[in-house]
Amino acid sequence: MLTTLWLKGIIAYRFRRLFAALLGVALTVALLGALGAFIANASASMTARAIADVPVDWQVQLTSGANSGAVVTALGQVSHYRAVEQVDYASVNGFSANVSGTVQTTGAGKVIGLSPQYATSFPAELRLLLGSSNGVLVMQQTAANLHVSIGDHVTIARPNLPDATVTVAGIVDLPQADSLFQAVGAPAGLAPTAPPDNVLVLPRDLWHQFFDAQTAARPDTVHTQLHVRLAADLPPDPAAAYVYVQQLANNLEARLVGQVVVGNNLAARLGGVREDALYAQVLFLFLGLPGAVLAALLTLAVAAAGAEHRRREQALLRVRGASTAELLRLASVEAITLGLGGVVLGLILAYVATLSIAADANLLATTTLPWTILAAVVGLLLALFAVLYPAWQSARRSTVAGARLVVGRTGAPLWQRLYLDLALLAIAAFSFWQTASSGYQIVLAPEGVAQTAVDYTSFLAPLCLWLGVGLLTMRLWRVALTRGRALVAGLLRPIAQGLSRLVAAALGRQSPTLVRGVALVALAFSFATATAVFNTTYNTQARIDAQLTNGADVTVTGTSAAPAGPLLGQLAAQPGVAAAQPLMHRFAYVGSDLQDIYGVDPQRIGSATNVANAFFANRDAAATLALLARTPDGVLVSAETAKDFQLALGDQLSLRLQTGADRQYHAVTFHFIGVVREFPSAPKDSFLVANASYIAAQSGNPTAEIVLLRANGSAKDLAAQVRPLVGSVAGARVTDLGQTAQAISSSLTAVDLGGLTLLELTFAILLVAGASGLVLALGLAERRRTFAILTALGASDRQLGAFFWSEGLIVLLGGGIIGLALGFGLAQMLVTVLTGVFDPAPEALSVPWLYLAALALAGVVSTVVAVLSVRVFSRRAVGEALREI
Amino acid sequence: MNEALVRAANIGRTYGEGESAVVALRSASCEVAPANRIAIVGPSGSGKSTLLALLGGLDQPSSGVISWPLLGAQAGLRPTKVAFVFQTPSLLAPLSVVENVELPLLLGRVGRDEARQAALAALDRLELRALADKLPEELSGGQAQRAAIARALAYRPRLILADEPTGQLDQPTARHFFDVLLAILAGSDTALVVATHDHEIAARMAEVWQMQHGTLEVPR
Repeated sequence: MLTTLWLKGIIAYRFRRLFAALLGVALTVALLGALGAFIANASASMTARAIADVPVDWQVQLTSGANSGAVVTALGQVSHYRAVEQVDYASVNGFSANVSGTVQTTGAGKVIGLSPQYATSFPAELRLLLGSSNGVLVMQQTAANLHVSIGDHVTIARPNLPDATVTVAGIVDLPQADSLFQAVGAPAGLAPTAPPDNVLVLPRDLWHQFFDAQTAARPDTVHTQLHVRLAADLPPDPAAAYVYVQQLANNLEARLVGQVVVGNNLAARLGGVREDALYAQVLFLFLGLPGAVLAALLTLAVAAAGAEHRRREQALLRVRGASTAELLRLASVEAITLGLGGVVLGLILAYVATLSIAADANLLATTTLPWTILAAVVGLLLALFAVLYPAWQSARRSTVAGARLVVGRTGAPLWQRLYLDLALLAIAAFSFWQTASSGYQIVLAPEGVAQTAVDYTSFLAPLCLWLGVGLLTMRLWRVALTRGRALVAGLLRPIAQGLSRLVAAALGRQSPTLVRGVALVALAFSFATATAVFNTTYNTQARIDAQLTNGADVTVTGTSAAPAGPLLGQLAAQPGVAAAQPLMHRFAYVGSDLQDIYGVDPQRIGSATNVANAFFANRDAAATLALLARTPDGVLVSAETAKDFQLALGDQLSLRLQTGADRQYHAVTFHFIGVVREFPSAPKDSFLVANASYIAAQSGNPTAEIVLLRANGSAKDLAAQVRPLVGSVAGARVTDLGQTAQAISSSLTAVDLGGLTLLELTFAILLVAGASGLVLALGLAERRRTFAILTALGASDRQLGAFFWSEGLIVLLGGGIIGLALGFGLAQMLVTVLTGVFDPAPEALSVPWLYLAALALAGVVSTVVAVLSVRVFSRRAVGEALREI
Repeated sequence: MNEALVRAANIGRTYGEGESAVVALRSASCEVAPANRIAIVGPSGSGKSTLLALLGGLDQPSSGVISWPLLGAQAGLRPTKVAFVFQTPSLLAPLSVVENVELPLLLGRVGRDEARQAALAALDRLELRALADKLPEELSGGQAQRAAIARALAYRPRLILADEPTGQLDQPTARHFFDVLLAILAGSDTALVVATHDHEIAARMAEVWQMQHGTLEVPR
């Protein structure tokens, strides 16, 4: 009976505070729930994207004597599959062709035999550039080496057998040559072998016609693979999917002991994505958890704002005979009501938030359910702690007189006496140093090892910095308000005028409540600032990453046989093109290593694409490009190449390029003038950048294979616009930035933070508004007696305002300025700690000024609204409060 | 006619509207002149506090007319001319005793030093100087109420309205409190209107007004 009465009373008369606390619990639950859904969704989408990109899931290599039919049967028993194709490989001594009276010959090469359905089953392996796919196909580079085209004859030099001649039906690109010609079964960690430069693709029957004899004569030069596309349902988490796929492969190898070795491309890909998924998880936790902590702190602050009322009510109940157990029972009812209401509302909010990432978002799905349960449990515990702990504390004060204590000359709180703030800052510094000394390696997913590890202690640095500065803010403000009253009075004089001394004294004695508000506002501002700055930097880097991979906003990529360069004039004249630049893409031998070489106009390349300082070892793009422009035979060498070949700046390099009328590789002299780390459209590892004019002069071929376009507006629209124009060039492709960003699944920056960013920034604004407004409003409402007395004493509106606005100003400005500064510091720390997320690393933080302005506005508006509404409320309630005086 | 500090003519006060309306005061007429000592007696809820709030300009009557011939416009009544003393000490918790006492002076834009001197003088008169730097929560009930009186007297107001000022004090403390108050006001033309249940205290006042169910009876 008493319980029901109590509950009704709380709902009827303490509704505002109950609702505010409920909102805090709901925000905590919603943030945690939504975070879980984001993590699960990101992992699942990374897995799906990674799988979609793998050209062939398994390359099952048959050992000599193995029966392919038996292997296919065993495969069916291990897993469902969508396609299986037999691929035969033969190594040959070389190819030759007699075209227009001159004979071209190549070094050793490979001939593979494919069935007619292969291209349909594994479309990513072959790209027809010219001619027909029915018949003998020549790889593009081989065709260039041999100067052959459709209808020409190519002679195959078979080991220990007479030469065989075939007729070219088509020219193809083998985009996945690395994996197609991988050494299956090579020990992990062994450097991958370069794919062959010379390849012929034969229809399977023809291959057997030519190479069955070679199989018999030289079995060491021939092998057979089964290319498999699996149909198994993989776990959504990349790490679990990796383990599952690895186990399937192990199972097949165990069933067919000694007969097969599985080249597990799918596991290799998932293995790479595992690390990114873990980084994504870390990233989400880094960015999201402080929000949940803040919402919890806000809930506790709201609950604490009603502590005076609670103390008085409990003292009265005690006077009327209530025992401590009864008091706690009543508080439990309130806590459970608060908890259940908060959890339900929070889960609804989380559901709405997750809908923004996927229409079929489900908080009860297997992967998200643990998060949902965790969020609900945290919400309930938070409600219990927020209500029961203060109730238990005040229940220990047994008298009404004791309950009337409202300010008191209280000593410093325990954390302050224990210097917890300084201890947290020391932990932050130590943790940061430790993470830095490990090279910011916070995620470990070693290749070929099933176990993965995340160094969660790296969380400590930003978390301890955040909480430490929050507590230090409280300490400093407490000192300022209690011991620096003259200073505070001076600062408040413009608002409080003649009352500034009294206002400063009153604020000093209310410092425990006030500094709590200041610290909360500081933490809320810092959370919002750090999140916004980090996310903006992340998105900027994602764009740079995409631009690096794609080359520019829009890239038209031709081939050596069909370059895009001749279209330059037409492309540059297209509306929506801000700048167009040609980019040569050739190959050059550095020693025996064939590498990509890019020819640029160093003075103009920057007009069509972004060339960042971070691309160069000296971190100065302008100086490096200027040096290249001044050095016609200069070459920029990738860091890996410089290291592998022990090159020193100024060294003369002799590279072999295709030059002269014979289109053979001849030595060309360059000078090594700088180290390049990244370059638009270049691969990540080994490549070279030189002057296009020099390459053109030396090779006798001035035509650029690629054209880079900078878009005035939408890159996607521009790409669509130029596609018909490029259609006339066989084999040329048009790609835009967005398309590339979608495709880079091996890079973490491909994880779309959009949904999380929107969610976090919305929450951050709510938390800032809540911290600066709600706590103030509730605190002031609690002290309406003070304002009733002031009114009765004859305080004018302006004088009343002195008390209201002084408090509001200290909470907002005191917390806001520290929070903004802390936010920038945290963002910098996050960017440093999460270096592994970025490729390339950002040169500086990207600052979302508009959002920060909106944030400051939210703080100001909520403070103004809080103060004004409390003033209105206090004025309206003066009569009532006077009767209570 | 012009010698009244405050004059009420047929004033009434109703809270709320329609069926839930509560009539707190019905057509009350009265006036308070300088140096008057008036007690308003009546049971709880009879409208005493409402009448005091209206006389002090803290509230607006729903009907009738109220004026302050010797004090001027309603807006300028507090803190200089009218002071309130409430049932509980009504000191501001975060301010020390002396700060509480000087508060009305500072609200009235008296200079800082002058306000402090006046506050200390008021505390002297109530023998509270030693407690000047204490916080309200460190005072006993009687000390706190005396501090509230000191605050009311600090500005030397023309009218003091006390709403059951001894309501929470024990009998001896209440009498002592009243002795001090009357002694300090003795000989001054500051008017004192006290709402009280205590007939003994009421008997020590020159005039006693009766309140019953919102109706005021003023002896002629």
